[in-house]
Amino acid sequence: MSRSPVVADGAISVPEKRPAVDRTREPLFELRSISHSYGRNKAIFDVNLVVWPGEVVALVGDNGAGKSTLLKIFAGYLEPTSGSLRFMGEEVRFRTPARARALGIEAVYQDLAIVDQLSLWRNFFLGKEIVHKVGPLRILRRRRMRREAETAVAKLGLTRIRSVEQPVLALSGGERQSVAITRAIYFGAKLLLLDEPTASLSVRETRNVLASIERARDHDLGVLYIDHNMSHVLPVADRVVLLEHGRIVRTIDRGEVGVEELQELIARRAQKIDC
Amino acid sequence: MSYNTSHKGMPASISSRGRARIRAFAESLLDVRELAPGLGLLFVVLFFTLQTENFWSPETMTAISSVASTIAIVAVGVTMLMISGEFDLSVGQNFAFTPIVWALLFVSDGINQWLALIAALGLAGTVGVINGLITTVFGIPSFITTLGMFFVLEGLNNLLITGHQLIMFQPSITMWLLGAQIGNTPFYMPLVWMVIIAFVFWFVLTHLRYGNWVFATGGKVGPAKAMGVATIRVKRINFVMSALLAGLAGCMQFSYLHTVTQGQGQNYELLAITAAVLGGTSLFGGVGTVWGSVIGAYLLATIQIGLVLIGVPGSFYVTFIGVLLVIVVIANVRLGRFGGNQA
Repeated sequence: MSRSPVVADGAISVPEKRPAVDRTREPLFELRSISHSYGRNKAIFDVNLVVWPGEVVALVGDNGAGKSTLLKIFAGYLEPTSGSLRFMGEEVRFRTPARARALGIEAVYQDLAIVDQLSLWRNFFLGKEIVHKVGPLRILRRRRMRREAETAVAKLGLTRIRSVEQPVLALSGGERQSVAITRAIYFGAKLLLLDEPTASLSVRETRNVLASIERARDHDLGVLYIDHNMSHVLPVADRVVLLEHGRIVRTIDRGEVGVEELQELIARRAQKIDC
Repeated sequence: MSYNTSHKGMPASISSRGRARIRAFAESLLDVRELAPGLGLLFVVLFFTLQTENFWSPETMTAISSVASTIAIVAVGVTMLMISGEFDLSVGQNFAFTPIVWALLFVSDGINQWLALIAALGLAGTVGVINGLITTVFGIPSFITTLGMFFVLEGLNNLLITGHQLIMFQPSITMWLLGAQIGNTPFYMPLVWMVIIAFVFWFVLTHLRYGNWVFATGGKVGPAKAMGVATIRVKRINFVMSALLAGLAGCMQFSYLHTVTQGQGQNYELLAITAAVLGGTSLFGGVGTVWGSVIGAYLLATIQIGLVLIGVPGSFYVTFIGVLLVIVVIANVRLGRFGGNQA
């Protein structure tokens, strides 16, 4: 587990001032005493977790701590064995990921974000194409989608492709996720789920992905993300939730402790897990 | 956008800016997938124009366009299917099966020609439905499903005409529509149909939502599904399209030749895939164009007829095609034009 300093090479900076998350609002997503078992193996024990709109929650913990299982429950890939889910104040049950998506829960996976062979604008609008309906035909409004995709990704500063007309196979892992996050914001997602978005990314790319996460928060999305690297978690997370053996063992608020203290706390914990 | 950085510090002359523009233009040309096969076809045509005296004769034009048109129509369906990540090896047998059924119903049984044609095409489509269902429900490679179908249809074709050939002398409106000569030109109706079909499917692929979904399905099923693309339905529809177009092209061949044997369409499954690949369609899905496959079909036909004209034995051309195919695929893989499958 990483014991690198919070600010690696000064490249990933920690914004000092940030409006605190407004927790008087209706929570976006709530897990109430959720447990989950795979057959006889219990993976999650009685977890309570709330994500507010405009809040970035980082889920950290060792392999097998139950991070991915939790994320899958959020995304609708798994139905918990017991407990209840509440989304925007209403109890929900997801039988399929599509159901969760329909409510505005968007999971972004590094290797599942994008179809390499499609051009950027086709990727951006895939599954949500803007069309003219002519009889049974759904004719793509190509020019409009091209323009909108261009505007939406303009801020990302993509350097590896010349235009939105090009296939995205030249995009790096980080750029793909940035595009996917931008797409989620564009289509009005409410909760963004990210599974190790910075794994195997360069410093510059990591910074770009983290910037996209911040942009999602600025658009009042809730963000739940898994990361192994504390120095990536700390700059953006409003709350860090530490999982161990399927239980939440520690929840640390950004306001509660200073960034360095937080780092130390988690490092100590991680050391124990690392042995 | 950063191609002139190496010239920094040098006076920005008009010529360097002009060069940048030319370079940008050249790069945008590289995005046109039909360019390479188009140049290939141009080269082949030039070669035979110079090497033979009668390349541009009406007879040669008829020969090339009649071979190319039917292969191209089959190849268009196969291309759609390949872009969505599947194969159809049964198109060659379907190319014989459909006209055989049509001819039997219409010529031998005296059923109304339109009804007979619709019934035959319905059967062709059913073949596609079965291919699609078996492949998607059982999750087996379409290579196997359609190889099985290939043998099933071959057996049926043998059974239906037991080594004879069906000949139709009487003029009829359906056969005229599908295979007649166009006025006094050296061209026949299949060419017209090919242009219409290619145009329709080009539009479907590039301008309809369905086309977007076809590319996404073959490109990467995971993200496509995650984005809500009905990948299974796309594949099933493409299996039906491929079978229907093969059957229709077979009926055109019959209408043009006025005869059909069980050997009609032999190798067409492979020639259609070859045409598609020569035209830039990826064997791994997600990449391809309709016009590229049409050009590929013309390449095959031009080489076939051209070699005969310069005195090479007619059956030798496939050897040449085989070599060309391998070279083209090596070039495509080297240039990374088959998309992210290496990644």
